[in-house]
Amino acid sequence: MYREAFSLIRREYLRWIRAPAWVISGLLSPILYLLLFGQAFDLGKLVPPGVGPGVLSQALSGAPNYFSYFAVGMVAFASVTAAMFSGTGIIFDKQLGILQRILSTPVSRRSVFLASLTFRGILTLLPAFVVVGLALLLAHVPNLAGLTVGSGVNVLDAAQFLAAALVLSVAFTALFLSFGFAAQRIESYFGVITILQLPILLTSNAMYPVNIMPAWLQYVVAVNPISLAVNLMRMSLFGSAGYPYPAAVYLAGLLAWAALFVCLAMVLASKALRTDLVPAGDSALSRAIAE
Amino acid sequence: MTENPAPGKVPHGPGEVVIDVRGLRMVYPPAKPGTPGTVAVDGIDFHVRRGEIFGFLGPNGAGKTTTISILTTLLRPTAGDAHVEGVDVVAHPHDVRRRLGLVFQKSTADEELTGRENLAIQAGLYGLAGEAVDRRISELLARMDLAAFADRFVKTYSGGMRRRLELAVGMVHEPKILFLDEPTLGLDPQGRAGFWKYIQSLRESSGITALMTTHYLEEADQLCDRIAVIDHGKIIALGTPKELKDSVGGDTLEISVAAGARELTPLLTALPGVGAVTRIGDTYRVKCSNGESLVPRAVLAAEQAGVLITGAIVRKPTLDEVFLELTGHAYRGEGELPSSEAADAPLVPPVGQGA
Repeated sequence: MYREAFSLIRREYLRWIRAPAWVISGLLSPILYLLLFGQAFDLGKLVPPGVGPGVLSQALSGAPNYFSYFAVGMVAFASVTAAMFSGTGIIFDKQLGILQRILSTPVSRRSVFLASLTFRGILTLLPAFVVVGLALLLAHVPNLAGLTVGSGVNVLDAAQFLAAALVLSVAFTALFLSFGFAAQRIESYFGVITILQLPILLTSNAMYPVNIMPAWLQYVVAVNPISLAVNLMRMSLFGSAGYPYPAAVYLAGLLAWAALFVCLAMVLASKALRTDLVPAGDSALSRAIAE
Repeated sequence: MTENPAPGKVPHGPGEVVIDVRGLRMVYPPAKPGTPGTVAVDGIDFHVRRGEIFGFLGPNGAGKTTTISILTTLLRPTAGDAHVEGVDVVAHPHDVRRRLGLVFQKSTADEELTGRENLAIQAGLYGLAGEAVDRRISELLARMDLAAFADRFVKTYSGGMRRRLELAVGMVHEPKILFLDEPTLGLDPQGRAGFWKYIQSLRESSGITALMTTHYLEEADQLCDRIAVIDHGKIIALGTPKELKDSVGGDTLEISVAAGARELTPLLTALPGVGAVTRIGDTYRVKCSNGESLVPRAVLAAEQAGVLITGAIVRKPTLDEVFLELTGHAYRGEGELPSSEAADAPLVPPVGQGA
């Protein structure tokens, strides 16, 4: 079982490491957001000079400046964007007949699923670290805004930050993996991604404070898994003052989303990996039936 | 008609039955509820003995791939039984998967990986790793003449190399039974003939049993010990290539005569070993048991009758003719490439008819 799963993960890793375009393109948009959008769109500069910094910090849930607030949102955004590619591999494997070959071996279906979730989950988590690292680094570059963290951040806070990033990655990796298991063609997969990407991001608190939104939007934002993860991360870095609920509530909500998406992925994976109905090969007949 | 139970007919001795198929039927669910499903395999029986290369010959859509998919546990049959080495493919698919190797129609190797990496990963899927496996992989690559390309990416491989790698992938866990689904599809005739040699060498060195599907008649003819001809989901004939060809009545001698020569039909019919004689223009088609020995007699008889023979060709029966005979329709091998059997097909009289 471990050897099977290791083999599958090794295969994914080798494929990934040899397609550098994917590696770079996954990181490009969060980096651009940090370097361009985050630098340009500094809400703090809109505050009249007479107003003290405490007012802004309060509006930004304790973050010392807008960039710090925004950078944490970008950590989540980077993971979610990376997760959107999670389902592509399985579609190519289906189209190229590689999945059929794997299924004709004694490898267990559970290994196939777990290997995908593990490897893709790690790929999804990586950009989060890159974004954190870059944002922290920018604080030391003259004339650029960067992520400034409160001095009271301890190991437990770091663990909370990491846990939030991890659970968020698992949740969205599972969600997009399930689309991959369900979709027959890459076009329909990217169709779904395109439809989902902006609504998921824009109904979260990744880029702007919740309390300036209209009430109806606040309800949506409150339950968005990105918001829940971002709340946990911001609490860990900037303190939990001003949040209506303790961190445990947000964590529970995030875990619930992750559980839901993992279940969805398991159901759709077991459907895609079943071999009692799917014809092998690619004869005209089996293609006609599979469509 | 479909079963060939006499052990004496198996050319390589009465080995044990390793693939046993009875009453196999596959109906795909209908696209719309309420409409009848597609019958892909319509109740077939056959068995394959240890060491045989058994061919499944038929046009696209005949049910070949469906049958292979069922036997390799990728598809659950609607009805019937199939056993591989005595193991029920429906009840114990996991056990069956360990016993068989599968070579797909299309290349299923990872393009961005090297040949060796592909094999190592496939071995891992069978739980195999370590030095012994690495050695076996090197051996396999060498046997497939891929040693020089072992550490190159598959995307740089030619079509023939990909097919050989696919064969190695199917053999990496040392199965005793190999299933090949259209293994030479898309290869040119030279590449195909080359591929056959690799299969034959595997049979000689590893004693494998192979069940292969093909829609190339010459492939079935040259490579297979026995052939099941399948059309519309039914096995319409089963036997050795020779038996199948004999069933359409031996050789054909084509004799061309000068225009306006006197009728030779009664004369030819009277010769020993001659069956039906048909005349098309100035060409006679003479069915006979042994074409070569008939040529001098036919020439002599015609000469004595004062008719000059301008040409004579002996045609051996082909599976094309078997197919035509059995199904009433010409073989419709719908290939991605211009099918070579069309070029080889001797069904069209080559001699001008002066119509």
